[in-house]
Amino acid sequence: MIDIARQEWAAALSALPTKEVKEAAESFASSCQVRDVTLPQSGLGLLTLRDGAFHEAFHLGEVPVARAHVLLRTPDGQESSGGAILIDDRATVARAIAILDGALAGRLPGWEAVAALVERGYSARAEKFAVRKQIMASTRVDFSLLGQADEEEGDE
Amino acid sequence: MSYVAIKGGKAAIDGAAAAAEFLRGHDNSGEPLKLSAIESQLRLLTSRVVSEGGLYHPRLAALAIKQFQGDTLEAAFALRAYRSTKPRLLATPLQDSTNMRCIRRISAAFKDIPGGQMIGPSYDYALRLLRLDLADEDPEAFQSVARTFLTELPEADLPDSFPKVLDALRAEGLLPPVTESRGEPFDITREPLLFPVPRSAALATMARAETGSLLAMAYSNMRGYGDVHPTVAELRVGYIPVMVPHPVTGEPMEAGEVLVTECEVVAMYESGKAASLPTFTLGYGACFGHNEVKAISMAILDRALQKGMQDGPANPSEDPEFVLLHVDGVDSMGFASHYKMPHYVTFQSDMDRLRTTQVKAREAEQSPQREV
Repeated sequence: MIDIARQEWAAALSALPTKEVKEAAESFASSCQVRDVTLPQSGLGLLTLRDGAFHEAFHLGEVPVARAHVLLRTPDGQESSGGAILIDDRATVARAIAILDGALAGRLPGWEAVAALVERGYSARAEKFAVRKQIMASTRVDFSLLGQADEEEGDE
Repeated sequence: MSYVAIKGGKAAIDGAAAAAEFLRGHDNSGEPLKLSAIESQLRLLTSRVVSEGGLYHPRLAALAIKQFQGDTLEAAFALRAYRSTKPRLLATPLQDSTNMRCIRRISAAFKDIPGGQMIGPSYDYALRLLRLDLADEDPEAFQSVARTFLTELPEADLPDSFPKVLDALRAEGLLPPVTESRGEPFDITREPLLFPVPRSAALATMARAETGSLLAMAYSNMRGYGDVHPTVAELRVGYIPVMVPHPVTGEPMEAGEVLVTECEVVAMYESGKAASLPTFTLGYGACFGHNEVKAISMAILDRALQKGMQDGPANPSEDPEFVLLHVDGVDSMGFASHYKMPHYVTFQSDMDRLRTTQVKAREAEQSPQREV
């Protein structure tokens, strides 16, 4: 079993070295048939953000996007669809993650190794988040000790 | 305008490129800059280029900085050129910055904000004195900085994201109501700015504007050519998870995260419309990367432009056409740079006209018209 939601698998796998992810996907693909439902692509995505003042939508800019959608079929006829969209410009990486996504979602033979990989990526990601939180915690400031207007950086 | 195609200059142009390359490496240190070093050690420079290039690709931004030897305008230009070669695969659903994984979060409006204030990585309270020890930095000591910092950090029991300061003010009825999205936002990469433009066009244009240009326009407002008088309700820097529909399930999945700086300012209150009560006015700024001056400047200009759109501009920073058509670094750099390109025909024509005018002036001097 894996406790990590499918929505986070791609982000978790992206936290691991690319070589490792590709090798795992290649290894899995060698034991089954992989068909591209849509051709793996790389390009751009327009990032739409909600402004914090009035909650109106606007485009902050563009991000690189790679995406893939595959159908896996094992020799005994089991099928599973996998997909991935990444903020990345390498379609090959998106395809590798789509293969692992399909393998894990369909519990295809060998899925346990993929689950272990996702869990490891998830942990790596959690470590990164923890460091950010530590940076925040170490710079927490208490301005309540600040006095009244005479101590402020007034401009008027 | 007239231009003359350059003929016979290929050797000189090739030579110019070689000379620029020579200057890049002539100190013989034998150590070409690594992109990872630019991306991390010059992270604020990289931030400028991703936001002004309009493409969140820190690694390519680092490459562009290396290629153009630190020229941010040329680097942003290269990033825009790169993006123009790539197909648009998707537009993301509306992303919510309340999900930001913050590394910094401050407020100038309140001492206490829900979740607390964290200064994060900042030079705000640092002395602006040169650290001469960096001039001859020992690689081992440099590498130990990060290790030491991490070992000394306390365990942090913080939430993944923080509420917005504006939410508390809004709950008190001190802010105007939210408008939510009104249709598709303006896409400045596909549509020209034909005025009047919606606010979404202004926000998108400013988000990829050149930092200095945006600051100059906002500074004019701060100094007196305007009356925004902002208070930074919240300034935050952090990573926004980009959520897109999973190709198979359609459920939102995290495709990655982007570093964003975001600023919300509260400005002078104004009378309510119709029967509503007066409320503070608001400005919003955001950009890719860590660039606080840009986000603050954008927030001030957003407020100034809202006023200009509503009441008509009373000063340059309230004029959408003036602001939005003059803050793009690639546009303005291109126009300025084109003046150094050959204008031989144009100038020859100017000289001919001047000579003719002088001849006529001399003739008029020599034979003055008699008054009748």
